[in-house]
Amino acid sequence: MDIIETQKENISIFKLNGRLDSNTSPALEKKLVSAIENGIRSMVIDFENLDYISSAGLRIILKTTKDLKRTDGHIVLCAMQDYVKEVFEISGFDTFLPIFSTVDEALAKV
Amino acid sequence: MSRKSVSIKLKNRISELERLGQKLQAFGEDIGLSKKCVFQINLAVDELFTNIVKYGFADDSRHYVRVALSHADGKISIRVEDDGIPFDAAAKHTSELKDHIEDCKIGGLGLHLVKRIMDGIEYQRCGGKNVITLTKYTPQT
Repeated sequence: MDIIETQKENISIFKLNGRLDSNTSPALEKKLVSAIENGIRSMVIDFENLDYISSAGLRIILKTTKDLKRTDGHIVLCAMQDYVKEVFEISGFDTFLPIFSTVDEALAKV
Repeated sequence: MSRKSVSIKLKNRISELERLGQKLQAFGEDIGLSKKCVFQINLAVDELFTNIVKYGFADDSRHYVRVALSHADGKISIRVEDDGIPFDAAAKHTSELKDHIEDCKIGGLGLHLVKRIMDGIEYQRCGGKNVITLTKYTPQT
């Protein structure tokens, strides 16, 4: 999995490419933890090029959400494939995590 | 000619997930499954495999997990077999998950997903092995 991190003002955007499973999720966790340690409080995770997610990936998103909540930070997700979004819905994650259709919409709301 | 069945032998290593994904993708393409259906099958097998590798063995020895898929008459049967400690994934209660999502136990979320995206899950312990059989009906075209 590739993770491309870009900044827009004080927002960090993480664009995920490929597969997010128990094999690849430690790399994403490391990046997100390091961003929070470096003072980032607003994050957008862009799922447009993410083909696959398992519960290991969901757990990283959940952990990051909790970590940011403790520091008054925010995380929003965007541009998911329909079947990826369905996994968030089945897990109940969509009840506390904002999911938008596009990056622009996510940037406006974070 | 479309392939109707495939058998995959995986080492008990998380790094095998990549090869598993490739094999399932190829199987799905051969029998003309939708991208969503391939994804759901991959997710279900991934969750079972990851649980087995992480919690299924009491020793550090090499073990194998066998995954066999067959497709006939709009029905896909998936058999996942391991020689680890007895664990009935089908019996594990996951329905209360939604109320406690943020505190759900290890493995609970994965099995919750498996049960929701598959149409059937059965467990048998036979010959010292855990055998999980998943069923997925493919949409009629």
